[in-house]
Amino acid sequence: MIQTTDKKVGAVLVVGGGVGGMQASLDLAEGGYKVYLVEKGPSIGGVMAQLDKTFPTNDCAMCTLAPRMVDCGGHMNIEKMTYSEIESIEGSAGNFKVRVRKKARYVDPEKCTGCGECVESCLVRNIVYIDQPGRAPVQIEEDVRVKVDDILNRYSGGREIIVPILHDINEEFRWLPPEVLCRIAEVTEIPIEHILRIASFYNAFSLKPKGKHVIRVCTGTACYVKGAQRILDTFSRELEVEVGDVTDNGQFSLETVNCVGCCGQSPVITVDDDIYGYVNQTMVTGVLGKYT
Amino acid sequence: MPHITNVMICTCTNCISNGALDIRDSLDAQIKRQGLQDDVLVVPTGASGLCVNGPILIVQPEGIFYQKLKGKDIPNLVEEHFLKGRPVKSLMYVPPGEESPIPELRSIPFFKDQRLIALRNRGLIDPDKIDEYIARDGYKALAKAVTSMTQEEVIKEISDSGLRGRGGAGFPTGRKWDSRRKDPRTPKYVVCNADEGDPGAFMDRSIVEADPHSVIEGMAIGAYAVGASSGYMYLRMEYPLAVKRIQLAIEQAREYGLLGKDIFGSGFDFDLQVFKGAGAFVCGETTALVASIEGKIPEPRQRPPRTTLWDKPVVINNVETWANVPVILNWGAKWFAEIGTEKSKGTKVFSLAGNINNAGLVEVPMGITLRDIVYNIGGGIPKGKEFKAVQTGGPSGGFLPASLLDLSVDYEQLDEAGSMMGSGGMVVMDENVCMVEMARYFVAFTNDESCGKCTSCREGSLALLEILSRMCNGEGKPGDIELLEELGEAIRDASQCGLGQSLPNPVLSSLEHFRDEYKAHIDEKRCPAGLCKALITFNISEEKCIGCRLCAKKCPQEAISGEAKELHTIDQDKCIKCGVCLDACKSEAVLVA
Repeated sequence: MIQTTDKKVGAVLVVGGGVGGMQASLDLAEGGYKVYLVEKGPSIGGVMAQLDKTFPTNDCAMCTLAPRMVDCGGHMNIEKMTYSEIESIEGSAGNFKVRVRKKARYVDPEKCTGCGECVESCLVRNIVYIDQPGRAPVQIEEDVRVKVDDILNRYSGGREIIVPILHDINEEFRWLPPEVLCRIAEVTEIPIEHILRIASFYNAFSLKPKGKHVIRVCTGTACYVKGAQRILDTFSRELEVEVGDVTDNGQFSLETVNCVGCCGQSPVITVDDDIYGYVNQTMVTGVLGKYT
Repeated sequence: MPHITNVMICTCTNCISNGALDIRDSLDAQIKRQGLQDDVLVVPTGASGLCVNGPILIVQPEGIFYQKLKGKDIPNLVEEHFLKGRPVKSLMYVPPGEESPIPELRSIPFFKDQRLIALRNRGLIDPDKIDEYIARDGYKALAKAVTSMTQEEVIKEISDSGLRGRGGAGFPTGRKWDSRRKDPRTPKYVVCNADEGDPGAFMDRSIVEADPHSVIEGMAIGAYAVGASSGYMYLRMEYPLAVKRIQLAIEQAREYGLLGKDIFGSGFDFDLQVFKGAGAFVCGETTALVASIEGKIPEPRQRPPRTTLWDKPVVINNVETWANVPVILNWGAKWFAEIGTEKSKGTKVFSLAGNINNAGLVEVPMGITLRDIVYNIGGGIPKGKEFKAVQTGGPSGGFLPASLLDLSVDYEQLDEAGSMMGSGGMVVMDENVCMVEMARYFVAFTNDESCGKCTSCREGSLALLEILSRMCNGEGKPGDIELLEELGEAIRDASQCGLGQSLPNPVLSSLEHFRDEYKAHIDEKRCPAGLCKALITFNISEEKCIGCRLCAKKCPQEAISGEAKELHTIDQDKCIKCGVCLDACKSEAVLVA
């Protein structure tokens, strides 16, 4: 019979024991619901458990995941159904009936200590199964694609071509647009995850669009002792922009650079390809005037 | 017919930033106007050394040194000197505190005490012309090595010379080469580490810009000695001019058959390509550098086993080390070993910067004292201020206070003093530099550049940074100093690569030598150097203010009041301590306390 009341009570079933599923289960369980957490793999944790760090903050994946795994593992309100898959769902919101197939584990979970002896002594070789779903073709404008493919045609080889390619892309577009990175991944068959890690590691590459002119205040030691910070503050105040951002009108990006090797003329700033030496705060407006 | 006079105009990044290219064009035009184009030749060269006084021009063969040139000086200079033969005194170098100029380069104290090996061709050749390098004995050493010496002989020569890595760690170069030569795996590689990340250092840039062929020749000799046939030049992308010059130099060397197949008919093949870095400080670390070339994430790896490139043996040396190699083969190991101290042979290039009169590039024999560098060559501190410290070794090095000025500059002595040779950056600091703030600056730098692999470095630098920032904001607590020391030692012990291990050095060495300043920040909430914004106020001196209203006009907060020709005052409630008034004042009337 279908329940018609708006008030939903009872248990909740969460499908998938990745970090999202675990967090959902914990929130619900804390809220007083009985949770069934169904996971098709033999353990909760999902993809995040296989990662070293996460994009874009480079946070340690395990540090995020482990507390949730422990909490989920021990929570009285969460019943974990691992190595299980959903066969059918009936009913509607508030009154579902779900059939779950619990696959045979051939190991008594009550007794298992997770020592791994059985894996070592098994005579049948364990073959790692990696899921590789097909990716949809990248959506990219035709003229952009032509430019990118032009650059890609200059290079061949393994992963060592990625930094030079990104340099060329950066020169062409002045930043690394997401669809262009996807196109590189598609053509070179280097995983997009790897490209993104490289792109976010180096200071030269930007994943955000830049202003028409890029102002870089050198904060190398020699410039710093001669007041680079004050110059940076003045630019930030005059342009009403935080360091690392673009002005509202898109005219200027304000950045710092860790030494342009021009220490004889410190403090130094660069605007696009022009270098200015012996800068002081009173020169800031004059310099900006040249580029507006 | 050869030209009678050669005008060497410095076109390094420093001088270009002050308009050297316009001056070159103007020189050409004026020389033509006076009809002197058959007598006077303008030669663009690399850094001449005294970068602070750029743009610089040296007239050869007399060696007359002109500095701080401006476009408007050129017509007069060409007419007076080149046409009438009367050198222009007003454009010459005047030593600080004196009145009469020194016309000749070789008499200027800055140049007099230097000994040039790695920089042997600075200011003498056009870096874009391979013929000029060859005319100065260029590629002679390579010819000698590949045609008349065995691999073992080359390595023996380098070992005997006592040459050690100029990148900072000081590993004996000969021993490094020998171990790679004995490695049976092939192919082998040579790499030039020109990822000069230390802020305040520009030796490598200057060598590559001024004399790119010396590095190429050094690498070719190294490749022959270890049996490598290809090489990489890992160059920072922040140095566009250096990238351009080395690429041109490689093309020219290929054209002359000095790179490529069967060099000098000896059957030795070697070719070189440029790999542009992408702005990551950690890539200067060798294992991270090779990972970067391989297209992997440039995180340092565990050593030993030895660093490899694509699992093959690789020799990685610094720019300056490579540039020394041809000279050693030409002049002999014995000659080289006579320069320097017992354990540190040869010369070292330093980039002298910060609060110093003669900022620029110097090459001095090892074992010279810091005092000689700072006062004799560097000309002392500007505006008669007190010397406070010199910082060597970049973010991995330490501060050396006035009491250590008589320290002899070599690998061991600097290590012992809690600093390091590093790649050769030397930043001089005067009394107005706050040591707590400086330590904070370096930790902020390494925190930003930490690759994040080791927790001790990633989180440790953040913890240090938080404590130091708190101190600079006047929120330091008793016990902070001890905490800094404890953390610093933990980071040193627990990090994997050089970046992490040496990250606490600026903090620990400033604590050792300038503990009082830390205490003033914590106990008295006072910044003795007058730099930490939260701990200072700006005031105008009654005696010195001339009432010019310059500061009032520039103040973004309109916090300065006072009529013309009357004493100005700063409204402390409005003041944001930006320091604009300090820059604007011509009579030094703005006081910071």
